Amino acid sequence: MSLQYHVRLSPGDVAPAVLLPGDPGRVEVVASLWEEARHVASNREYVTFTGTYRGVPISCTSTGIGSPSTAIALEELARVGATTFVRIGTCGSLQERVRVGDVAILDSAIRADGTSQLYAPLEFPAVAHHEVVDAAIGAATELGVRHHVGTTFSTDLFYVPEAGSAFGGYEQSGWRERYADVARTNALAAEMEAGALMVLSRIWGLRGGAIALVADVAGEKDASGAFDPQATFDVSEEPIERLALVGCETVRILADRDGVRSSA
Amino acid sequence: MSLQYHLKLSPGDVAPYVLLPGDPGRVPLVASLWEESHEVASNREYVTFTGTYKGVPISCTSTGIGCPSTAIAMEELGRVGATTFVRIGTCGTFQDRVRTGDIAIFDSAARYDGASRLYAPIEFPAVADHDVVNAAIAAGRELGFPFHVGTTRTADSFYAMHPRPGSSFAGYWQSWWREHFADLKRMNVLAAEMEASVIFVLARIWGLRAGGIAVVLDNVLKVSSESGDFDPQQQFDHGGDEIERLARMGSEVVRILAERDGAA
Repeated sequence: MSLQYHVRLSPGDVAPAVLLPGDPGRVEVVASLWEEARHVASNREYVTFTGTYRGVPISCTSTGIGSPSTAIALEELARVGATTFVRIGTCGSLQERVRVGDVAILDSAIRADGTSQLYAPLEFPAVAHHEVVDAAIGAATELGVRHHVGTTFSTDLFYVPEAGSAFGGYEQSGWRERYADVARTNALAAEMEAGALMVLSRIWGLRGGAIALVADVAGEKDASGAFDPQATFDVSEEPIERLALVGCETVRILADRDGVRSSA
Repeated sequence: MSLQYHLKLSPGDVAPYVLLPGDPGRVPLVASLWEESHEVASNREYVTFTGTYKGVPISCTSTGIGCPSTAIAMEELGRVGATTFVRIGTCGTFQDRVRTGDIAIFDSAARYDGASRLYAPIEFPAVADHDVVNAAIAAGRELGFPFHVGTTRTADSFYAMHPRPGSSFAGYWQSWWREHFADLKRMNVLAAEMEASVIFVLARIWGLRAGGIAVVLDNVLKVSSESGDFDPQQQFDHGGDEIERLARMGSEVVRILAERDGAA
């Protein structure tokens, strides 16, 4: 197994721990926090940087939006030696207590995606590795970032199944209570990649987890009752950098603890 | 809300931390490890003892076999003030690296049950609380028990879905059962039992904490796949002290949680 078809990576190109944002434009922002970083590959929505953060080898690869392109990234990253996957993305909040600017540490996911069902039936849980969850809690606590731990709604739809969201006012009767029902299950957040990442990591015996910056309140409408993410989402530079820092620190804490364990 | 219909418990009768074995006959055995204990109620398959273990208030309630009776126990225990649920049971394993007598710590469950689907759609993850998983890992290390952390397959049937005719009465069998266990093994599923999924789903949707540990009695693929014959009375490995080890570990999980809760 050498050069990978989509991500354009070969064994040796990535560290065992890989941060996974969706947006290829954010990879360089993440890598700018490391003491040493080099651009390894760029192809389609997949951009990879590898370097060192506080002495720990680290990589960052963008997945593109959604579970299909994320599954391709994970398949090919695993083939070139990645063993720990930490998604760093944005999400919408489903609970009043979870506010814009907070960080959601996702320990599990509701599997409202298509890709993960092609790997394992829906009965199978989308669950993060507990070591990644603990390291993320450690990182957020240490950095003084307000955070929550819980379940995310991983969906294949951005223009959510709600009246006023899809183009032309298109709606289905079954959509009306969809988000309200998800919120009633105590789920924290909604995003588009964590479910597939957790299922694939688990079936391969690798470690996966996800951290997301709350960029909006899911289902929030503008004054006219329309869904306009350009107007309502907060994806400004400062919170994105904070998210990237929590991701890098999560990898550092994992590496520290892995080292402690192997010498014990 | 006073006396509960099935469990015959009222507020004040149980501690915030409740151990949940399936077998009502095991509740006095669990309570015998505590420095102080008394029987609180006994009705149908539900037996409850409350007491003190190493200074920590603790209860133990049997659930009966299966998710329907377990959901009733959870509903009524939640109403009388229980907030942390730790299942202690027995299980089979799909993985050859896991030996009989080892402990399986469940961080998640595959939802092959009916009851949990009536509360949340099948996409929703059956996931343990990370505090409980961490406390179980700490308890396993402290007691020196060999343990594994992973996903359990919770099913509503004990005798169905085995790979060959012989597990269900009179040779009844379905062709789609043939690869079910093998597929679970391929998905890296650790164990098989009958209650964890509904405990995890209910605790999560209510914002409470749950987890589960189980002692491994058999390798489900080895037990029934060669001849197809399935005779648990002959084939399950009840060496003698495994239930006591399980009870001790469960009690230690509660002690560690109480300590960490106090420190938080």
